[in-house]
Amino acid sequence: MIVAGCDIGSTTGKSAIMVNGKLSSYTIIPSTTKPEETARKSMEEAMGFLGIVSMEEIDYIVGTGYGRLKVPFANENVSEITCHARGANWMCPSVRTVVDIGGQDCKVMSLDEKGNVLEFVMNDRCAAGTGRFFEGMARVLECGLEGISKLSLESKSPANITSQCSVFAESEVVTLINEGIDVIDIAAGVNSSVAGRLNSMVRKVGLVEDVVLTGGCAKNEGLAQALEKKLGVKVIHLSEDPQIAGAVGAAVIAAERVSQQSGGKSG
Amino acid sequence: MTGRSLDDKCCQKLIQERDMLDMMVQTFTKTSTGTNLHMVPTKAFVDHHNEILRRYISGEPHITSYFCCAPEIYTAMDLPWNTFLTPAFTGAIMPTYHDEIDASGRMFRGMDLCTIIRLAAYIVEEDLVPPPTAVIAMLHPCDGINVVHQTMANNEKWKNIPVFGADPPYWADERSYEYYADELKKMVEFLEEHTGLKMDTNRLREVVKESNKQIRLWQEWNELRRAVPCPHGGAMGLEVFGEATTVHSGMPVGTAWLEDVIADAESLVKQGKGAVEKESIRVFWFDVLSLGLTLELFPWLEQEWGAVVAMEMFGYSPYTEIDTSTEDSMFKGLAKRALHEVPMIRQARGVADLFLSDIEKIVKDYKIDAVVYPGYMGHKDGSGSAGLMREKCRELGVPFMYIGMDLFDDRYTTLDELKDKFSKFFTSMGLG
Amino acid sequence: METKVKSKALDTFKEAAETIVNPELKKWIDQGGKVVGYFCCYGPEEIITAAGLTPFRVRATGSTGTELADAYLTSINCSFCRHAFNMGLLGEYDFLEGVIWLNNCDHIRRIYDNWWRKVDTPLAHMMSLPKLQADKQVGWWREELVILKEALEKHLGVKITDDKLREAIKIHNETRRLLKQLYELRKKDKPPITGADTLAVVIASTSMPRAEFNEILKELLGELKDAEGIKDYKFRLMIVSSIMDDPKYIKLIEDLGGLVVTDSACYGTRTFWVEVDEKDKDPLGALARYYIQEKPSCPRMFRDFPQRSAHIQEMIKEFKVDGMIGLRMVFCDLWAGEFFMQEKNLDKADFPVLHMDREYLMAGTAGQVRTRVQAFMESIGGKR
Repeated sequence: MIVAGCDIGSTTGKSAIMVNGKLSSYTIIPSTTKPEETARKSMEEAMGFLGIVSMEEIDYIVGTGYGRLKVPFANENVSEITCHARGANWMCPSVRTVVDIGGQDCKVMSLDEKGNVLEFVMNDRCAAGTGRFFEGMARVLECGLEGISKLSLESKSPANITSQCSVFAESEVVTLINEGIDVIDIAAGVNSSVAGRLNSMVRKVGLVEDVVLTGGCAKNEGLAQALEKKLGVKVIHLSEDPQIAGAVGAAVIAAERVSQQSGGKSG
Repeated sequence: MTGRSLDDKCCQKLIQERDMLDMMVQTFTKTSTGTNLHMVPTKAFVDHHNEILRRYISGEPHITSYFCCAPEIYTAMDLPWNTFLTPAFTGAIMPTYHDEIDASGRMFRGMDLCTIIRLAAYIVEEDLVPPPTAVIAMLHPCDGINVVHQTMANNEKWKNIPVFGADPPYWADERSYEYYADELKKMVEFLEEHTGLKMDTNRLREVVKESNKQIRLWQEWNELRRAVPCPHGGAMGLEVFGEATTVHSGMPVGTAWLEDVIADAESLVKQGKGAVEKESIRVFWFDVLSLGLTLELFPWLEQEWGAVVAMEMFGYSPYTEIDTSTEDSMFKGLAKRALHEVPMIRQARGVADLFLSDIEKIVKDYKIDAVVYPGYMGHKDGSGSAGLMREKCRELGVPFMYIGMDLFDDRYTTLDELKDKFSKFFTSMGLG
Repeated sequence: METKVKSKALDTFKEAAETIVNPELKKWIDQGGKVVGYFCCYGPEEIITAAGLTPFRVRATGSTGTELADAYLTSINCSFCRHAFNMGLLGEYDFLEGVIWLNNCDHIRRIYDNWWRKVDTPLAHMMSLPKLQADKQVGWWREELVILKEALEKHLGVKITDDKLREAIKIHNETRRLLKQLYELRKKDKPPITGADTLAVVIASTSMPRAEFNEILKELLGELKDAEGIKDYKFRLMIVSSIMDDPKYIKLIEDLGGLVVTDSACYGTRTFWVEVDEKDKDPLGALARYYIQEKPSCPRMFRDFPQRSAHIQEMIKEFKVDGMIGLRMVFCDLWAGEFFMQEKNLDKADFPVLHMDREYLMAGTAGQVRTRVQAFMESIGGKR
């Protein structure tokens, strides 16, 4: 059985192909201005890795993406939240709390053992805790997003950024720089600040282990560690790139559809 | 002769609003083939604005007040009352709206004070409302409304306008109702003194009896909304609330309209028809509504998701009938209504318990699939209750969403952002 | 800018302002004494003292975050409330036998609703404070005081007699008198104590057994009477604010040359400029009248702005104030309105005013504060 999932985000397009239940290939490409084009490009690239020439060779494709975006060549489109949760569950069956930090927003979901969403909290109007916050900080620190993670890991005493509002926080960081605080400690402080916001959101749905981080900012190891400190539990690292959780989940759902159609057990 | 004219600056906003609403009424009259239920409530405000303007010119008494200060008394005294709240509510159709919001922000050096309140303070500062004979101030449910009346009273140009504010107890018990009933009596004395009008107990009795009828009809209509599919959505809730508690409170024309609304709902229920073609999600919208929402967000929810607002904060009427036997019993009943039964006032003014028990009752009675607390930026106490609301919904097994938005300024959380949040919420909870 | 005198008493007070449980309070607790917390300066401390307990005005000193509180309160709630509730959730207030709230503002009153459900305080009590100030409201507040009294009696198994109330009023009035004496010293051209240190003293007055505080303050007053005064300041400033319990904030202003000589604040003159009437045969009635009608009010009291302004004018005159700094907590509706009215008033008199918004923790915003205060002082200088 060959199935695929295609997840079109605002900044990246992801495709994942599963062959007989194994994740065989995946891609993450920058989004183009046309979502359909992004979808096609990322899927064709993933197919290319396996020598798959035509989409006809794929038994079922599930598409997903932000808003009500539809992947045109998909057999079915499913919501990104559902795909995300299923993907996280596939990559880590023990996951019960997913913290997803995207470019524009962040969400926390509590899941059951099957990967169904029980509860779900989004950030409110505040940018603090989203990718936008990191982008702003990365600019101020002149280190790039990966830089924040790398620098923060070297810190032994994170700077304390107390401002609740991200606008105040940015100017607080400028003050810290001017005061000569080591940039590694500031970077760690930024991560700690975001981890604090995420901590609050987790408390809203209730902390249940295992906890995973997904989304673009999940690769920020410094953030993962800061979050662990805040939550008091280990943050599990996903077996695969956390950014592809949505695409993997879509592929998992595709596999279920195929099983159902061939008279298999219902999902 | 007062030397006043409709060209005066203070009349322009009311005239503008009236003209906009009048245009809507004309549309209704032209295109409706049967009963257009929106006409009566909309025309009510057109007539209301005209009357206030007329009294401004003639010098006859009119006051400013609110829907929660026993409007039956004003009806009984034949005393029209204007409210500072309409600019925020009708704002979505007014061209200068965003500018006014921004200007009001500059007044208070910041935008974190409730938009409705800021706009009210602004229109007084800028002479955009006809000075009333007297002001009935509200001191609850929130700090904002307390503040705006203090700024008004402090206004040089309004310093000769007498102000009365009833002191609100924090509780909702017999002691509080008696305390507040006495405050309402003081309000009547104040109004009699400053308007020259008298309140006659028998006339009040007539009005309260009519108001009781309206309350009964409101609740009957609410019963009908329990039907699946729900015959009428959130926008109608705001209109029903408006008719029963504002311009037509205790007036037969309002009662007649409510009967028409019920007839319409009954007919829909009998046919198994809902406000939404294919109803798939029943939402409880637990806050105030604005024209902007009802014109844009709610239609999108209906078309895109089959989501109907089966109940909203302002449509929910837990009112009890007032005992009209004596003057005392009427004032006590009016006090109880003002403190414990008026939408929004009821939940926000005291302890947070009613937020939670109202959610429980409404979720069960109206078969609610999703509770939405908009997290309006002006409702600080409401947001301070959001975590408890979430837990209550968890207990009830119903999905809960807190948004964090400005109900009156669509730039704070844009329509696209709202649509995105609703989409994510519905899909993640397996709704729709 | 520093207080010149070296004083153990002042050190005691500074320590109390930097901690929650100071050594004096700890001693009280270790000896079996109980403590009841209260929010807001309208909290009836006298009744707590009369019950044989120590009243403690709840602060969030030392708080570093609001993450637990933010699961219940939101980003549009006052940061003081979020920090205070967070401290409660962390167990920092487990030493309290009870906490008393009143509906002074939308943010604080919601702490009550969350606190009693989430924090294990034996007694959580809410009171209904009027917004008008006529005799009818005095009557209502007296009833609320009786309800509180009875709740404490029931919970603690004590009797709060009128004599105990009179005694408590005496003690608290002495605190008021002594604090006023402290402030009187700041009327001098060379005040012997900085505003930052004075704030520490006032905070300490709400944080330890009252009688003991009075004795220590008497000591300090003795030391300050003839002490060397501060002369290296540029201007005499006053602070007008709601909750301001951070001496470091005041120090920052003073280090720029703006000596804070007085205030209208709730850790400040609004709580002690007037005393409770000890001659009234009905102590509860005297307390009710004091809180509703006599003490300088907070912006939640409807249409009392003229009196609040008069109090500020009195301060400006008596303390020869050159400029006023008004501080508002972001999301505070009451002070947004108050500032608006103040600006109109003071603009007329051409009196230098700086209004600043803040969060509960100053931390990284110090740079901005410095910039604005500096510019403000330059403008005062320019006006001369």
